[in-house]
Amino acid sequence: MKKDEISALSTRQKGKTLDEFKISPLFDEYRALPDSVIRPNEPKLHKFLEAMRRSLSKENWPFLLPYKLTLEVCTHCGTCAEACPVFIGSGRKRIYNPLYRADMLRKIYKRYFTLSGKIFGKFVGAEDAKEEDINSLAEAAYRCTICRRCAVACPFGLDNGLIMRETRKILADIGIAPDELRENGVYTQLRTGNAPNIPYEAYINILEFLKQDIRERKGVNVDVPVDEKGAKYLVINNAGDYLAFTDTVAGIIEIMNYVKADWTLNSSKTGLFDVVNYGLFYSDKDMMKVIKAHLETFKRLDPEYVVLGECGHAFDVLKHITTDLIPPEERPFKIISWMELLDQWIKEGKLMLDPNKNPEPVTFHDSCKWGRCGGIYEEPRRILRASCKDFREMYPNREWNYCCGGGGGFAIMSKYNFLQFRMETYGKIKAKQLRDTGAKIVATICSNCKAQFREMINYYNLDMRFSGVSELVANALVYK
Amino acid sequence: MSGIAWFVGNILPYITWSIFFIALLYNFLKWFFIPRPIVWAIFPARYNTLSIYANIVKRIFTLPGPLFVDKVIFVLALLFHFGLIISLSLHAKYIFTPNLPIEYLLGTAAGIAAAIGSFGFVIRRMTLKEKAVSTPEDYFSLILLILTLSLGCYLRILNLVDHEAMWSWVIGVLTLRPVDPPANPIFIVHILLAQIYIAYLPFKTLMHPIGIFFGQKVILDGRHIHKTKEGDQA
Repeated sequence: MKKDEISALSTRQKGKTLDEFKISPLFDEYRALPDSVIRPNEPKLHKFLEAMRRSLSKENWPFLLPYKLTLEVCTHCGTCAEACPVFIGSGRKRIYNPLYRADMLRKIYKRYFTLSGKIFGKFVGAEDAKEEDINSLAEAAYRCTICRRCAVACPFGLDNGLIMRETRKILADIGIAPDELRENGVYTQLRTGNAPNIPYEAYINILEFLKQDIRERKGVNVDVPVDEKGAKYLVINNAGDYLAFTDTVAGIIEIMNYVKADWTLNSSKTGLFDVVNYGLFYSDKDMMKVIKAHLETFKRLDPEYVVLGECGHAFDVLKHITTDLIPPEERPFKIISWMELLDQWIKEGKLMLDPNKNPEPVTFHDSCKWGRCGGIYEEPRRILRASCKDFREMYPNREWNYCCGGGGGFAIMSKYNFLQFRMETYGKIKAKQLRDTGAKIVATICSNCKAQFREMINYYNLDMRFSGVSELVANALVYK
Repeated sequence: MSGIAWFVGNILPYITWSIFFIALLYNFLKWFFIPRPIVWAIFPARYNTLSIYANIVKRIFTLPGPLFVDKVIFVLALLFHFGLIISLSLHAKYIFTPNLPIEYLLGTAAGIAAAIGSFGFVIRRMTLKEKAVSTPEDYFSLILLILTLSLGCYLRILNLVDHEAMWSWVIGVLTLRPVDPPANPIFIVHILLAQIYIAYLPFKTLMHPIGIFFGQKVILDGRHIHKTKEGDQA
């Protein structure tokens, strides 16, 4: 899709109904998944229950404890409702309550997998599942970005977001997953080295263009090493950035050259050059395939540090999940985020920054995967304070920040009127938060958030622009 | 003393507490032996055992989540849980002594607070259906609680139970030398409802007093199964 088409998308989708798309509703007035994926008339209850049985077995060990706890211990107090941006943004519609969505699976769990449910039935919330319930559940699972704000609020530490993730996993097990994440995401990434399917030559051309652009704008010559083995830093970005958010990549290139780092990017010649792992959003099996392909790529290039660019979910996968699932001997390098490296270089005085070069008020959006799920809160703030004249907080922030609506894979999902859903629920809350800051720039370090902001700023006519942190830092660099 | 009162006072407690402890142990062990999940923490997380458990206890008593997002449930939960903890403690004191100095005031206040809290939960469920999606069982457990607490308050406020008789009865049950429970029929109904609730507790979502430790630990535990590589500073 071309850039101008993307920016016009949100405007075109305003107010469109499913009738106009000639598709039936399954859960609400939106659709995330096409009929070709859900196959609404195909019987699938039996397969679903079998897949669910597997999800409740030790086969699913990494998530089994929080998964079972959340199914069994939830008291239906509803605290999570007031934490959920889609519930609040929708005007508190019952079907968007995280508890309601999780209960769609919980009812099935109780009915088919618990003794009390088999004996007491509806009294304990157990219900027979019908074929249409599975169709409805498939759509409901894609109304939650798995931002996990509900888990912060839950007095028991339960995670209804995780239930939606497990639901997506069960559905993927029976062949139901969004094309954007599976066929055009993971499968394309494994086949071509990157999810947006940028050919090698085009990728090299983009890098050449960025070198030229930096020379013209800043008057400095930069090198962009590609596929250099044994470099100290291997920087791996979200490949979507090479198409949609090139300023961020240019910022990284400029900063790497500024500090004269021994660094490299990589290309499809050495494996995956796209840090994304959309498997996180729907399937542990596919997530593991991408993790393994990433690790093979990294080992081939043998860096001392793998530096993860501005991509939130990649940080969650490679920093946390990979660290736990893959023993240290199979990952003989250190994995750090670009934010940690930048923060360290600023502390060490390697970057001379003039905040006056970024005079506009800047606010920072904590991406769910960087913040709540990743633990990176203070680094970007220190970086922005050092490189921007007027940094101001958005409220609430850090672990209480609202998801923008681009998480959980949503940023690349805009079939039918789904983008309208993103704007009218999550987007509504976030747009208000942004307006309240009075900032002219919203900085964020996640490509999915940027994609959501691009649409949101257009949809709500916000008087601001979005930016990565890297380009703001690059803009503040002082050359002697 | 009727046979029913004798059964409720001197037979049922053994059945009730056996069910309670066996089911509780079963649930505890079930969760305890589920493999430890990968880091699925919500940050800021904690990195040593002492800090994790200290924070679990802090969260149990301060309810930071409800405080931030839903002050109504925060107030109701505080009233209910603190009221219940004090009430239960004043029941447990019969193991040691029949009387405590400020028991009447403290017990009355705690019982009323717990009853108001549980009544508030029911009202909230009935009026905010878009938020508190409820099953019949959710109402059942709350109504059972309200009845138990209300009868307890009634007995306490009107001083209808002789503390010495209560003490003798509790010691009798504990030492397997049963004596007649206090004869007031309302007291018998009170302990019958309480025992139904205790036996029912570990089978349902009311397992949360145990589940909370596991759930909060997942959210708070930022330690990796495999150590990250040392010297991540670049």
